[in-house]
Amino acid sequence: MTAPTMKKTERTDYLRILLTQRIALLALLIVVVVVTFFINDAGGYLTAPYDFDYMSASLISAVPLAMLGLAEMLVILSGRGGIDLSVGAMVSLAGMVFGFAYGEWGWPLWLAILATAGFGAFLGAINGFLVSWIGFPALIATLATFYAYKSLAIVVNDQQPISTKPIQELFSLSKSVELPLFGEYVPNVPLGIFTFLLPTVVAVWLLLARTAYGRRLYAIGTNDVAARWAGLPVRDTRFKAYVYAGLISGLVAVVTVGQFASARPDAGVSGNGMALPAITIAVLGGVAITGGIGRVAGVVLATLLIVWLNAGILLAFVGNEGSQYQLLALGAVLVFAALLNGLTNRRYGGTTS
Amino acid sequence: MTAVAEAKIKRRVLPSPVTGQEIVLVGVIVVLWAALAVSTPAFLTAGSIQPLLVATAPVALVGVAMTIVIITGGIDVSVGGAIMVCSVLTAKALVGTDGVSLGVAVLLSIAAGGLLGLVNGVLIAYGRVHAIIITFGTANLFMFLGLRIFGSGTVNGIPATLAFFGRGPDGRTLGIPHAFLITLVITAVAWWYLRHTAGGRHFFAIGGDAQAARLAGVRVQRRVLLAYVLTGVLVGLASCFVIAQGTSTLDQSVGSGKELAVIAAVVIGGTSIMGGRGSVLGTLLGALLVQSVASGVTQLGWRSQLSDLFVGIFIIVAVGADLLRARARRSR
Amino acid sequence: MTDKIETPRLRLTAVSKRFGAVRAIQHADFTVRAGKVHALVGENGAGKSTMIKIVAGAEVADTGEIEFEGEPVKLGSTTAAIALGIATVYQEPQLFPELTVAENIFLGRELKKAGRVDWAAQNAKVVELLELLGLPERYTTAEVGTLSVAEQQQVSIAKALAADAKVLILDEPSAILTDAEIEVLFDVVRRLTAAGVAVIYISHRLDELFRIADEVTVMRDGRTIGTYPIKDLSVRQIAHLMVGEELSDSRPHREVPDGPAVLELKSLSRDGKFRDVDVSVKAGEIVALYGLVGSGVSEIAACVYGIDRSTHGQILINSSQVNIRNPEHAQRLGIALLPANRKVEGMFGFQSIAFNISAGHLKLLSKFGVWVDRAREKAVALKLIERLAVKTPHERQAISAMSGGNAQKVVLARQLVERPRVLVLAEPTQGVDVGAKEEIHRLITELAEEGTAVLVVTSDLPEALRIADRIQVVRGGTTTDEFGPDASQVDLLAAAAGGSETNPAPTAGNRETNRTATESRETNRTATESSDTNRTAAGGGE
Repeated sequence: MTAPTMKKTERTDYLRILLTQRIALLALLIVVVVVTFFINDAGGYLTAPYDFDYMSASLISAVPLAMLGLAEMLVILSGRGGIDLSVGAMVSLAGMVFGFAYGEWGWPLWLAILATAGFGAFLGAINGFLVSWIGFPALIATLATFYAYKSLAIVVNDQQPISTKPIQELFSLSKSVELPLFGEYVPNVPLGIFTFLLPTVVAVWLLLARTAYGRRLYAIGTNDVAARWAGLPVRDTRFKAYVYAGLISGLVAVVTVGQFASARPDAGVSGNGMALPAITIAVLGGVAITGGIGRVAGVVLATLLIVWLNAGILLAFVGNEGSQYQLLALGAVLVFAALLNGLTNRRYGGTTS
Repeated sequence: MTAVAEAKIKRRVLPSPVTGQEIVLVGVIVVLWAALAVSTPAFLTAGSIQPLLVATAPVALVGVAMTIVIITGGIDVSVGGAIMVCSVLTAKALVGTDGVSLGVAVLLSIAAGGLLGLVNGVLIAYGRVHAIIITFGTANLFMFLGLRIFGSGTVNGIPATLAFFGRGPDGRTLGIPHAFLITLVITAVAWWYLRHTAGGRHFFAIGGDAQAARLAGVRVQRRVLLAYVLTGVLVGLASCFVIAQGTSTLDQSVGSGKELAVIAAVVIGGTSIMGGRGSVLGTLLGALLVQSVASGVTQLGWRSQLSDLFVGIFIIVAVGADLLRARARRSR
Repeated sequence: MTDKIETPRLRLTAVSKRFGAVRAIQHADFTVRAGKVHALVGENGAGKSTMIKIVAGAEVADTGEIEFEGEPVKLGSTTAAIALGIATVYQEPQLFPELTVAENIFLGRELKKAGRVDWAAQNAKVVELLELLGLPERYTTAEVGTLSVAEQQQVSIAKALAADAKVLILDEPSAILTDAEIEVLFDVVRRLTAAGVAVIYISHRLDELFRIADEVTVMRDGRTIGTYPIKDLSVRQIAHLMVGEELSDSRPHREVPDGPAVLELKSLSRDGKFRDVDVSVKAGEIVALYGLVGSGVSEIAACVYGIDRSTHGQILINSSQVNIRNPEHAQRLGIALLPANRKVEGMFGFQSIAFNISAGHLKLLSKFGVWVDRAREKAVALKLIERLAVKTPHERQAISAMSGGNAQKVVLARQLVERPRVLVLAEPTQGVDVGAKEEIHRLITELAEEGTAVLVVTSDLPEALRIADRIQVVRGGTTTDEFGPDASQVDLLAAAAGGSETNPAPTAGNRETNRTATESRETNRTATESSDTNRTAAGGGE
């Protein structure tokens, strides 16, 4: 970020920027990861070529990850221990709603997507109501709704996935497309990037960086007492953060249904679920768990880092070892980032992501 | 001071041993059991209650330690991963012609868990990083470790060495399952420790105000470290219960989602997520309630996942009641 | 006194302490005797708190000698002080609300028997202490969080005594207490001195010293002016010693345009905080509400701004009654407020100056109420930075990295984005350097010149005198006397610190000064007298 503009060439300055500017650190780590795998690829240590085509195709897994990372960022920014453990369960439940609307009732696609997003927002509103208006600790409220939404998603269609013909045809959403104009010179990119991820990234960025709401959100996350004395609607602002997180989860539900070509009742909660990786991405992207600090660029870069690291790991190991080492990478990177935060807080008095 | 006054002091040296939340929980469990007994006559039989108690044990046992962690103002979301590591390690040690004995298996599992807890504890107590972030990170690391030990697929042909903790007749004395009995004893010991020793009370002080506790002479870092190591140790023991309850096969989903189940039990039991207040007895009751609902839902022939909906509702009601009480206390 | 023979419990001789370039204390002498209550008084910034910190071991003196029971000692840390038997009870009780009283008292030094806490032994000790403090025995096992603030303070005292305190420092113990609770506190203090404890008593409320203290040491500008037997002094004399020779920095007299009041408070009350507050501010006028810490003066500001709700009385804006629901509503009515606690209530720590200024005015500074107009935001920020002479390289600087004075200017700038009809400033220059203080005062005057009605809520006596056209003294939660800008510091201090306690009626001096002030003098005096009766009645009831 600010690195190129610095004229001073003292080493300590660059070190300081790397330690305190999360975006600079993430950019460097991405370069290190990509170069490492390129070298490994050239040396023939990988099971398949790690090239731009592969990197581009792997972006499909960035779509839900980055979107939910942004959702977590919104609620964590709102402060007072903001967090949302229920995003995965919301994806499951909203996904079932989408399955019904589009797959069973034959609604037009746009209407079904709209309804799903709206339903996600409604689920988020329940979280927001509990946290902001009633005063539940966010961890508790979203733990409770995690269980409730997860249960409803499974019960609503008697544990059966919905994979009727229209749903199966949605798989085209996740295929890669050639970009217009200069598309033949660059790799094909998964369609979901353009239809869901980019619009969400742009919308959240506009929301946070350009709108009055974004300012209020940062303000209440930084110091909600001062926000009250400044005449800001603290509760309403915090409430909306959870609504937006629900809305994004609704959109992710559509993406996930497309990817699986089926509305699965456990889509967002199977295995480790989606909440844990999403929170990890947000924290890795420089979002302070105490609220008020965090940027869209950080979350996007953190997603790219993890996605390309995971993609490389898959090629470096045979069989399911790859997916295991992905866990190692995610955990190690998160612990490293957290300890780094602790260190920079002591040495430089806080990070400015 | 007169003898009468002295006797009076002795009688009332401490606040009431049970909290309102615990009484309410007992009431809810009694009502629930009664309702289930009426609707399904099979419920109040040994064949139904015994498995219920066995299934309660692991969550309640880890819940004891989680309660202490949460009382200090922390949290540990890595217990699911830690359970996976301990159970697969122990299961592998049991398998084969030279499989280890019961005692060795338990010690191995506890040692492994203690080590994982030590990792968490050191990072949290000395790394000065928020517990939830560190344990999110170590959760991934532990799962990696667990899956690596699994290798590919499942662990098969686990012998019945741990039947002492299991569902079968070997796992019971006078009809009471050992796993539940052990959990009960450990809960009682923890309850006594938290209530009657200086070290136990210091956990509460740390959760109330760590800085003030440090000034008062409490060794905060050491206490915090202890809480996480204890979590690891109990995770190790609970893992033995998990293996014993299963079939002779252990699959890779072991431990998955357990961290949230444990936190749910703790929270329903009346422990404040903000730290400084909580009870292991409540946690045991919370775990029992959750398991009773799960068991009830199946026996009523409903879809088993419906019990999660009740868990969610219980959390909201339990914590909501607590919020209202706190609000009433503030405005008084 | 026959103290020539007796060894003092604690003696500080020629103690000095500097913080950087600031001399906090110079050549201070201070002697505390067993079984006596020694009052320490002085204005804000006179060096009282530094003195206390040195005695408590929280700060180490640069020079000077400290003797404890005749032996020279080093007070290098709080633990060293506690080991000697010097215990401090701070204003805010540092207790654990979830633990019982007994546990709080013994935390970190529990009595043990066979590995467990010896509750019976602890409780026996606690019951003794509670008896000494006049608290019921059953509190031993009560959770501290269930006790009242006053009771919590007594628990803090008990905690100090449990460590066998020989010197007990009470830092502004009465500030948070009601009159009835103060009686209990005095009772406790008398019992302690009877038991031989030396008590150092810090208070702003001079009237109460006459009822509790044996000796008083007055501090001014970091020096100890002298130590006197309390019976040789009156409130006015102490006030005079605290203020010293008055500086004749009288500013040019301001002409306040005549007109109707913009802001009026009519018998405004909030249960347990303040009552029957009557204030009116005209356009272009600067009125100061001057009161000591704990007089309820800061709560009045919070009420006018809709943070708290009043329980009785009226707030009138331009003669029409308003019911202010929240700060947003107050802002719509044209009220702006500078909060008293800058760090907690004012600053958005790691955010930029521009962010901090625009935070309260996002509707105004955005297009269609949605998009922040960043160019305008920047322009507004730069204009205000210039107007308030904020020292900063650019408007993107984080406010947490700025000095107290500069940060205060930024928070003040937030109140000036739109010209407020009524500006309430709570402690506008607390923790602010001299230069910034000067500039903030100049700005307040400027704003009044432009027609804003300014209400300054302050516990800083020179500040009140320096900027206000009229000064309303708040004592015991209600407005009492009113003064003009020519009043003397001694008069004001005596009025605020309770001169009426020694002289039942308002003193002649007060009346003289009032004559210069306002048209509402007569009504005001009746209000004073009636509220004094109220006060006693309320004190008995609570």
